[in-house]
Amino acid sequence: MSTFRNRFRDEILAYSFLWPSLLILVALLIYPLGDVIRLSFYDSNLKRETWVGLGNYVALLNDPLFWKAFGQTVVFTAASVVLHLVIGLGLALLLNMQLNQTFRSLARGLLIVPWLLAPTVAGMIWVLMLAPFGVLNGVLARLGLIDINFAPSWLGDPSTALGSVTAMNVWRAFPFFMVMLLAGLQAIPKHLYEAADIDGASGLQKFWHITLPQLRGVITTIVLLDSIWTFRAFDPVFVMTGGGPAHASEVLATVIYFDGFQKLRFGYASAEAMVMFIVLFVVSAVYVRRTLSKEQ
Amino acid sequence: MPRPATEPAVVSPYYLGLRNRERLARFAAYVLLVLAIVIVFFPLAWMATVSVRPNLEVTRMPPDWIPEIFTWEPYAKIFTTPRYLVVFANTMVISLVVTALSLVLGAMAAYALARFRFAGQRAVLMFLITTQMFPLVLLCIPYFRIFITLGLYDTRTALVIVYLTFTLPFCILMLRSYFLNIPRDIEEAAMVDGCSRLGAIFRTLVPMSYPAFVGAGLYTFLLAWNEFLFAVVLIESWENRVLTMAIYSLMAEFVTEWNMMMAFSVLASLPLVVAFIFLQKYMVQGMTAGALTS
Repeated sequence: MSTFRNRFRDEILAYSFLWPSLLILVALLIYPLGDVIRLSFYDSNLKRETWVGLGNYVALLNDPLFWKAFGQTVVFTAASVVLHLVIGLGLALLLNMQLNQTFRSLARGLLIVPWLLAPTVAGMIWVLMLAPFGVLNGVLARLGLIDINFAPSWLGDPSTALGSVTAMNVWRAFPFFMVMLLAGLQAIPKHLYEAADIDGASGLQKFWHITLPQLRGVITTIVLLDSIWTFRAFDPVFVMTGGGPAHASEVLATVIYFDGFQKLRFGYASAEAMVMFIVLFVVSAVYVRRTLSKEQ
Repeated sequence: MPRPATEPAVVSPYYLGLRNRERLARFAAYVLLVLAIVIVFFPLAWMATVSVRPNLEVTRMPPDWIPEIFTWEPYAKIFTTPRYLVVFANTMVISLVVTALSLVLGAMAAYALARFRFAGQRAVLMFLITTQMFPLVLLCIPYFRIFITLGLYDTRTALVIVYLTFTLPFCILMLRSYFLNIPRDIEEAAMVDGCSRLGAIFRTLVPMSYPAFVGAGLYTFLLAWNEFLFAVVLIESWENRVLTMAIYSLMAEFVTEWNMMMAFSVLASLPLVVAFIFLQKYMVQGMTAGALTS
């Protein structure tokens, strides 16, 4: 008995600290995932469940709304991530210049503020700003770009709805990139730039041959993370447009929500959620492999 | 011997010299950053100015930056309406409980992962990282059904439980990466001196990693405070509502009361902004630690 104790001493100690968290997470994540997988083979509302086999998945393949939402989710994600990266990198480079210390930390602090806001709150502010009577139209009218009597409704027009939601999302979440990239820039060894200076490298050459390669690890990490977070995002679209008008800004998360909780088609919504899960799982697998290989 | 005269370099009139060029670049950086701050604060300033004007003025075209009539009425209305105040209390209690639970349970799990090598460690780590990528909308369907069965639908307890799905893995990973940087010799020395293992943890490891606790705690609080999807799915009645949900339902309720909604938004954002001003250092550490070290 005591040899058993000695042999597995670390295991016993480790799991005696780990078990509450593991128990909670298995109950909250693994069990529900199993439930969704099971449910995706049933036709189910709250009261009864009928086995339909792959019926939900077949219906899904022929559901134009689901694929429209899928495409729009990809566009929304790609546009958000690219703009986050460009804006975040630009501001991080500016903040990394030899500026006054107080100004630098003040500027960084102020630029982070949008990221503190709930997506719901941020969404509401933008709904107000983008309304036909909103301040954006006011500014545009003052600049003579639009006629005040035919002020556009940015969220009410199918051609601008998704773009407007993306703009809000870019505004709210770029600080994450800025902060991460600034930390990445500050971790680049100074002597690399000094050596390049001696060789007479131009600013652009230094950026291309030192800064970017040195930031590659951070950029890959945050691009993967942000892609996953944006792909599964629900709040911005739900709050700003509810997926409308005419599903022009529908994304996967809102489609699944409406199918499940408005139409009460839980089986079908589960099948949709499974497709989303598989896409995210593939991207996550890349991220997890990267993260764990760095640990070794 | 006379040195051969060197050809004087042709200096372009646009050439500023290295030092001046640097000065100009720095000046441009200041200008661009100030410009960025102005643009980023435009929506926030608009929220603030709409929250202190009568609602009639909000829809007036063209909109004005300075309200014609300045009024605190939207705020007064929020502070004198019990059903609005209860929303603030709910959000605060839920966020605090979630933060406390995540930090305590998270620290325990992080300690195990940082200090022992054990069978299944890699699997646990992989599981924790993957949970952060879970589509939360997928979980809504089973949660809704499970909590109805358990009789926990439309309770604040349900929200506390489900918020752990995303706060707990984050706390574990962040505290773990901090614990890894603290030499284990310190705890072992305390244990040699007669501390129990728990005593050693509480006397050395916990006090030494307070920045990680503050950072992870603040970020966890922010996540819980700002959560929306689970609240929409699991809460029905006004007395159990949280802020994000209440603000959203105000849009449906009083389609036109924008000044109220913006006052609500200001009050919902204020605690986070104030906490951030004082704890900026830890929070930024927390944000960067996760992705840079792990």
